[in-house]
Amino acid sequence: MPLIGALPQPITSAPLVLFIYVVLILMLGSALASVLLRNTLYAIGAFAASMVLVALLYLAIAPFLLFAVQLLVFTTVSAALLIRLLRETTGLRPATLGPLSREWIIGAAVSAAVLALLEVVLGATAWPVGFCCGFIVGFGPVLTNTYPVGLAVLVVILASAALGSGLLLAAPTLPSPRGGGSVRRRE
Amino acid sequence: MSAGLNLVLVGSAVLFAVGAFALVARRSAIVMLLGTQFMFAAASIAFVAFGRFGLGARNQNAGAAVSLFVGATAIAELAVGLAIAALLYREHRSFAVDADHR
Repeated sequence: MPLIGALPQPITSAPLVLFIYVVLILMLGSALASVLLRNTLYAIGAFAASMVLVALLYLAIAPFLLFAVQLLVFTTVSAALLIRLLRETTGLRPATLGPLSREWIIGAAVSAAVLALLEVVLGATAWPVGFCCGFIVGFGPVLTNTYPVGLAVLVVILASAALGSGLLLAAPTLPSPRGGGSVRRRE
Repeated sequence: MSAGLNLVLVGSAVLFAVGAFALVARRSAIVMLLGTQFMFAAASIAFVAFGRFGLGARNQNAGAAVSLFVGATAIAELAVGLAIAALLYREHRSFAVDADHR
């Protein structure tokens, strides 16, 4: 018996293999688009799409918790940070449409329908999680029991990054000698 | 047709190459930061793939756990990088990191 246990077999279920191929191709395409697009806003949109596709890849080959964290935390935080940077620098303004305009209502209805459909499919068939990842159970308890030091270090890193970026943004800037025009001056 | 370690590692390597291209060839600080995020994501995918297909039944969760840590570190790096990019923009009214193109 090998020291680390038997090696798992490759995924052979045809729908799941097709799903992984499609996700990989779309992920690489959107990453390439994100790098090559000249419009920064479109580049950020393509970046967010590629991160969502990474989450979908995790859904097929990793514990469900990793998919949820990648989708809800990493993708959302990255996109929010980038959009906020654009709003604070290049003057990107929020949409002029009101929250109750027809476009917003239609978009919200379509999003709710797609999410409900996804929820029904996941709840009824457990696809694709049930196909491949039934052997991975209890990832959360394993994480907290096996890697407590890693989690603590992670909290320190995130707090340091938040503090550092806050201090950087709060620091006064000197007028540029090249006439770039700083926003704030040292008192 | 099957999906195993080789397929996911090839995808991970291509994603890493895209990120490295953005870091080396583009001058915008934002696109360079996106490139570093792609490189982090590629490393995460490789960790997950090794944990899922290459480590063995006793260590199925190791790759996913490391991937979680890598993702959080990438977020921290992005926060600091974007703060630096904002300072760069305040000073030069441009995100270009190359002095000849400001």
